[in-house]
Amino acid sequence: MIPLMIFALLVALMLTGMPISISLGLTVLTFLFFMTDVPIESVALKLFTGIEKFEIMAIPFFILAGNFLTHGGVARRMIEFARTLIGHWAGGLGIAATLAAALFSAVSGSSPATVVAIGSIMLPAMLQVGYPKRFAAGVIVTGGALGNLIPPSIIMVIYAVATSGAVYFGPNGEKVSSASVGQLFMAGMIPGIILAVMLSTTTWYRAWKNNYPRIKKATWGESWHAFRESAWGISLIVVVLGGIYLGWFTPTEAAAMSAVYAFLIEMFIYKDLAWKDVPKVLLASANMSAMILYIVTNAVLFSFLMTSEQIPQQMSAWITGSGINWITFLLVVNLLLLLAGNVMEPSSIVLIMAPILYPIAVKLGIHPVHFGIIIVVNMEIGMCHPPVGLNLYVASGIAKMGITELSIAVLPWLITLLVFLGFITYIPELSLWLPRTLGML
Amino acid sequence: MFLRILDRLEELLITFLIAAATLIIFVAVAHRYLVGIPFFYPYLFPINLSWAQELCIFMFVWMAKFGAAYGVRTGIHVGVDVLVNKLSPPRRRAMILFGLFCGALFTFVVGSMGAKFVYGLYHTDQVTPDMELPSWIVYLCVPLGSYLMCFRFLQVAVKFSRSGELPHHDETDVDGLDPELAAAEAARLVR
Repeated sequence: MIPLMIFALLVALMLTGMPISISLGLTVLTFLFFMTDVPIESVALKLFTGIEKFEIMAIPFFILAGNFLTHGGVARRMIEFARTLIGHWAGGLGIAATLAAALFSAVSGSSPATVVAIGSIMLPAMLQVGYPKRFAAGVIVTGGALGNLIPPSIIMVIYAVATSGAVYFGPNGEKVSSASVGQLFMAGMIPGIILAVMLSTTTWYRAWKNNYPRIKKATWGESWHAFRESAWGISLIVVVLGGIYLGWFTPTEAAAMSAVYAFLIEMFIYKDLAWKDVPKVLLASANMSAMILYIVTNAVLFSFLMTSEQIPQQMSAWITGSGINWITFLLVVNLLLLLAGNVMEPSSIVLIMAPILYPIAVKLGIHPVHFGIIIVVNMEIGMCHPPVGLNLYVASGIAKMGITELSIAVLPWLITLLVFLGFITYIPELSLWLPRTLGML
Repeated sequence: MFLRILDRLEELLITFLIAAATLIIFVAVAHRYLVGIPFFYPYLFPINLSWAQELCIFMFVWMAKFGAAYGVRTGIHVGVDVLVNKLSPPRRRAMILFGLFCGALFTFVVGSMGAKFVYGLYHTDQVTPDMELPSWIVYLCVPLGSYLMCFRFLQVAVKFSRSGELPHHDETDVDGLDPELAAAEAARLVR
C-alpha cells in the first residue's frame, strides 16, 4: 500500500509540471511528516551528505569540458574530417554527418546541441547535393544518439552514482558489486562502434538503392590535413579512456583533466575562444551542473526513503517469486524506459529508475555493467522517438519540418536503433567482452 | 539596486567556484606526477596537497546549492510539462503558480531544517577531516542556498503572475555558430 501511495504522489506532483527535483523532494517530505515515524533528523543529514562524494564531481567537470568544446569550430573540423574520409561514398555526406555527430556528441556531451551544431551545417549541404529533405533530416536527428555510449558519458557517471553504495545479492546469494565509471566507459566502446556502423549502413543502403548524387573524392592531402585539425578534439576521448584504463587518474580526475584539456585546445590551438567568453562558459556549466546535482540530492533522499521502506527488496522478491525470467524483465525495462524517455530528461530517469530496477536486475543475474549500457541506449533512443523526443523538436527547428513529417523521416534510423537495442539487451557479451578482456571486470 | 548586486554576487560566486575547483584538481594531479621526477622532487615534496579533494567537494557542494538558486532564475529546472501545456490558459497559469509555490515551500522547509542543523553544529567543536575547518561553516551553504532558492521561486512567481513570462533555458545553444557561416561552410563542403 505504502509503495503505491509514494508513487502516486510522485507522479501527481510531476504532472503539475513542477521541477522533477522539487517533486521528488516534496514526496519525501510529505511522507516523512505524515506517514512514518522515522525521525526527521536522520533524514536531514542526507540533505547535506547526498552529494558529498568525489565520484559525483565528475559530472560538473565533464559538463565543463563539453561546454568548452560545444563550439561551432569544433563541429566544423569534425565534419571536415568525416567528409574527406567517406564523403565520396553513396550517401557519403549522410554517413559523414553520422560520424561527425558521433565524435561531436561524445566530446560535447549533449545530444540536442549536436543536432544543432552538425545539423545547421550538414543539412543545407545534403540538400545542396540533392538528397531529399526527409532523408537528410532523418540522419541529423539520430546522429547525436551515439554520444552517450562513447566516453566521456555523463549518463554513465549518473548511473554509477545512482546504483553504488547499497549491497545487493545475485541469484545464488553471492554479493554483486556495482558498476564503476571506468568499467562502464570501456563497456560503451564496442556498442558505440556497432551503432555507428549500423546507422551508417542504413544511410548508405537507402542512398545506394535510391541512387542519390555523390560528391567527389577528397585527396589524401586533404584528409591528412582535416585529421590533424580535428585530432585535438578527438583526443579527449583517448585522454579520458586511456587515463582511467592505465590507472593514471580516477574518473573524477580524468574529468577535471579533460576540462582543462578542452580549455587549452579551444584557447591556444583552435583559438575559437576569447578570454571574455570564459566566464560565460563557466557560468553556463555551473548552471547545468547545479541543476543535475540538485536532482541527485533529492533523488538520494528519495532512494533512501525507498530503501528504508524496503521497496526495491519487496519488488525483487515479488518478481523472482512470480517466475519472471531476465528475458521478460529486460523487455519490460526497455518499454518502461522508452516511455519515460518521452516525458523526462535522461538524468532524472536514471536517478529515479535505476535504484529501483537495479536490485531486481542483479537478483535475476544481469551484470550491473550490461544493465547500465542497456539504460544508456534507452536514454538515447528516448531523445529521438516521437511523439516528444527532444532531438526531434530541435531538428524540426533547423529543417523547418513539422514533427509528424519528421517522425516519418526518422523511421528507418529509429528502427535501426530499436534493432540495436535488441542486440545490446540480449547479447550481454557485446558490452562485457572488452572490459573483461582488458581485465577490468 | 540591491537585487542587481545579489544577482551579480550569485553569478560571481558560482563562476569562481567551478573554475577554482577544476584548477585545484588539475594542480593536485600534476603535482602527484611531477613529484616523481627527480628534478622537481626537492621543490614539490614539501607541498602537501592532501586537502585538495576535500576542498573540491566543498566548493562543488556550495556551487550546487547556489547554482540551484541561480537555475530557478534561468529556468533550467525542468519538469514534465506535457500535460500542463495542454490545459486551457487560466488552468495552466494556476498550475504553474502552484508548482512555483511548491518549490518555494520545499526550499523553505529544507532551508529551515538546514538552519537548525547548522545551529546545532555551531555549538560543537566538530571539524572537517582534512582541512580542519569548523563543520558549521561548510554546512552553512544549505540554509543560505535554500533560502535564496526559495526567494528566487517567489520572485519568478510574482513576475509570472504579472507578465505571464517564465524564464526559459535554451538547451541547444551552440557558441560560434552563425547561420551565414554555416551556410558558407555547407556550400564549401559540396563544391
